[in-house]
Amino acid sequence: MESKKEIKQPLLEISDLFASTENLTILKGVNIKINSGEIHAIMGRNGCGKSTLSKIIAGHPSYEITSGKIELCGNDIEPLEPEERAQSGIFLGFQYPIEIPGVSNLEFLRVATNARRKFLKKDELDTFEFEDLVKEKLDIVKMDSAFLSRSINQGFSGGEKKRNEILQMALLEPKIAILDETDSGLDIDALRIVASGIKKIANENSGIILITHYQRLLDEIKPDFVHVMADGKIIKTGDSNLALELEKNGYDWTDEFINKN
Amino acid sequence: MLIGDKAAANTFPYIQSQQPNSEVEHEASTCRISEDQLFYLQSRGIEFEEAVSMMVSGFCRDVFNQLPMEFAAEADKLLSLKLEGSVG
Repeated sequence: MESKKEIKQPLLEISDLFASTENLTILKGVNIKINSGEIHAIMGRNGCGKSTLSKIIAGHPSYEITSGKIELCGNDIEPLEPEERAQSGIFLGFQYPIEIPGVSNLEFLRVATNARRKFLKKDELDTFEFEDLVKEKLDIVKMDSAFLSRSINQGFSGGEKKRNEILQMALLEPKIAILDETDSGLDIDALRIVASGIKKIANENSGIILITHYQRLLDEIKPDFVHVMADGKIIKTGDSNLALELEKNGYDWTDEFINKN
Repeated sequence: MLIGDKAAANTFPYIQSQQPNSEVEHEASTCRISEDQLFYLQSRGIEFEEAVSMMVSGFCRDVFNQLPMEFAAEADKLLSLKLEGSVG
C-alpha cells in the first residue's frame, strides 16, 4: 500500500475558488484536491453550486472566476478555452446531454477523439480505424452500433444519452472526469450499466468526480472521498461513510452550519 | 446566414398565383447558433470554428439531402467557406 501512495500525482487542484454568473456569486471559496487513482463524490442540496463547479472546470462561458485557481497537473487552466481543457484531459459528463440535429454521432465521436489524440501526440484515426476502436468501446456501455449512425443524442432516451456520455469518456481517456448527475433519471438496469462502465474506465492514472444525489450510485462505485457542498463551499469531507450518514440524516444540518458561519 | 453583431435580415415574401382556387402560404424560420450546442462540442475538444461548421452543416443536411448529389457537394463546400464569424 505504501508504494501505491507514492505514485499518486495531484491531477486537479482547486484553491479558494470564487466564481459568479450575472453578478451573482455562486462559488464562495471551494478547495478540493484530486490525486491520480482517486474517486471523489460531491453531494449537496440542489442549488448549492455542484453543477456550477463542474461547468467552471470545463470552461463554460457563462461563469467567471473572480478569484482562486484551478490547476490541472500543476498548470492554471483559467486562460484555456473549453476545447483546450478537453484536449488536455478534462471531461465533463453532462447532466443533460445536448441534442445536435443533423450531426452524426459517429463523426462527432471521431472528431472529438482525434482532437484528444492530437494533443497526446498520437496518430489521428481515419474512419475505418476509428470504427474498430469505437466498436470495442461500445461494449463498455452495452450500446448498439445503431446509435453511431444517429444524430448526436437526438431522440435518445434519458438512459441512452447518459450511456453516450460514458462512451465519450471511454474514447477520450480523460485525466479527470467530472460526471454531473450521470445517475439521475436512470432506471436500475441503466444505472448498473453506467456504473460498471465508469468502473471499467477508472484507472490508476486518472481521477473521477461523481456529482450525485443518490447513495445507489455510490453503492456501485465506492468513492475514496465524499464532500458535502453547501452555499458555494465544501463544508465537510469524509470517506464513503459520510454518504451513508447523509442518506440517513439529510441535509438539514448544513443549514445550521451555514447560519453559524 | 448572418455574420457579425450588426448583421440583420428582412424578408418580404411575395407569392404570385395564377390559380384563383389555390391556397398559398409562405413560411420561414430563423435561429441563432445555440450556445449550449457549441459548448457541448467544445467541451469534447472540438475547436470553435469546426464546431460551428459541424452544427451549420448538420442544420442544412436535411435540405442538402434532397438536392442532386453534385449540387449538394458544392453547397456543402460553399457553406464551409462562409462560416468564419457567423452568428446565426
